[in-house]
Amino acid sequence: MLLKVVKISALVAISACTLNAGSFDTQAEKDRQALVKYMEAKFSNPEKNKSFFPYSTEDELKRVIKKGVKAADLAKGSYAYDSIGREQYDDINEMPPYEDAIDEGEVLYGKKFANGKTFKECFPKTDIAGDYPYFDNKKKEVVTLTQAINDCLVANGEKKWNIKKGNMAKLEAYFSHQSKEAGKKVAIKIDSKEAAQAYENGKKAYYTQRGYLKLSCATCHVQGTGKRVRKEYMSPLLGHTTHFPVFRLKWGNLGTLERRLEGCNKDEGENPHKGSSKWAKEVLYFMSYMSNGLGIDGPDIRK
Amino acid sequence: MKTFNKILCIAGLSTLGFTTVHADLLSDAAKLDVKQACDVKANGIEAVLATAAKYNAEAVKLGVEFKRLGVTNSNYIKTTTEAAKAKQKEVVLKYKKKGKVKTHKMATDYAAWRSCSFAIRALQQQVEAESTWKLAVPGDGFKY
Ligand code: HEC
Repeated sequence: MLLKVVKISALVAISACTLNAGSFDTQAEKDRQALVKYMEAKFSNPEKNKSFFPYSTEDELKRVIKKGVKAADLAKGSYAYDSIGREQYDDINEMPPYEDAIDEGEVLYGKKFANGKTFKECFPKTDIAGDYPYFDNKKKEVVTLTQAINDCLVANGEKKWNIKKGNMAKLEAYFSHQSKEAGKKVAIKIDSKEAAQAYENGKKAYYTQRGYLKLSCATCHVQGTGKRVRKEYMSPLLGHTTHFPVFRLKWGNLGTLERRLEGCNKDEGENPHKGSSKWAKEVLYFMSYMSNGLGIDGPDIRK
Repeated sequence: MKTFNKILCIAGLSTLGFTTVHADLLSDAAKLDVKQACDVKANGIEAVLATAAKYNAEAVKLGVEFKRLGVTNSNYIKTTTEAAKAKQKEVVLKYKKKGKVKTHKMATDYAAWRSCSFAIRALQQQVEAESTWKLAVPGDGFKY
């Protein structure tokens, strides 16, 4: 009898543990689905649902903002619903200014370090853009693709790269392109308690109002999605990480997601967090999870 | 039982004491009236700048320091403190933009007020966010 009780309780304990192992992403998955629902509701019929677009004119809602936009379309950012911006975007994309960068990224990937090795030792596969950031359960920290690239350089006795542009953006452009060609999707995992905590930290940071302007990322990219700031419509959190690095006309060159994050953080009126900080990495982990299941679509262009 | 609880409580609180410096400054800041605490005429510029320095150090630690038009609040405090010591009526705040050094000029008293309000507001916002951030999350507090 006693043995039976022990056996049963052991079984219960084991199943509880395995159940738990599969459920570290329960909250994140709920959050993601709620975000998809909100965005799809917003764009189901802008002309009818004016309350989502308090600053837009009737004409704008009728002629400019598309309706029936689905989550999968949102990887294109505001060009998913801004039909005028989309025309310009399509024009530029006829001769994409990032093509050379992809080729240069491929060269960097195969180029020998001083020790004779290459990036292939660290990244045997190149269609990996959707697998980052991941939570390293040994180091107990979020690892972004940018960090993994710099870690690889350092491990091979090389100097770290600038995380905002240049070689970093080029190699990431190559990885992103390879991932897109292979039909890869964003596939972020949350597989431990610590990983779930990192996700929660990132989520809280994203929704927290900060800086002297008292804005949160969500003010502009969740509630603000589809609202206009001067000539630009603000893009959705959903799909934000699928297409980096981007060639921005304003920058005149290719930049990483970290570069964009720092810029937007600064625009909130806060001394911006470095792209390599724990804060930024956790925000990126959260943002990337929100895009889970969307196709990798980079590199791309933005205004 | 009661005394045991008390002992536990004291033991608990004294260990907490070491770890709650953050919480203390945060809750101190939350209680402040910015207009009063940062009033240069009423408190004198040295006191206002000291208040700014005290709370801004915490904002820096928490990663919530303000920055306006290229100038961090630390920069405001440092430059304004120097100007106040030298009895200058105007401060010249330097910052870098695209590798070039640029400047903003403003009245020293005004810069002191701003640095103080920025320091306190950064912490107050952090405290306020604890109860407001979820109100913006779809599927949680955000209703549409
Ligand atoms: C005042 C509004 C505002 C705030 C606050 C803001 N952003 Fe932005 N963000 C913009 C605008 C405007 C753009 C350019 C147009 C667009 O794509 O939305 C942009 C672009 C971006 C992009 C690039 C989108 C793409 O498809 O290329 C990302 C990523 C981004 N922001 C992330 C963030 C994060 C993270 C935060 C919080 C730290 C944040 N933003 C806060 C206004 C804002």
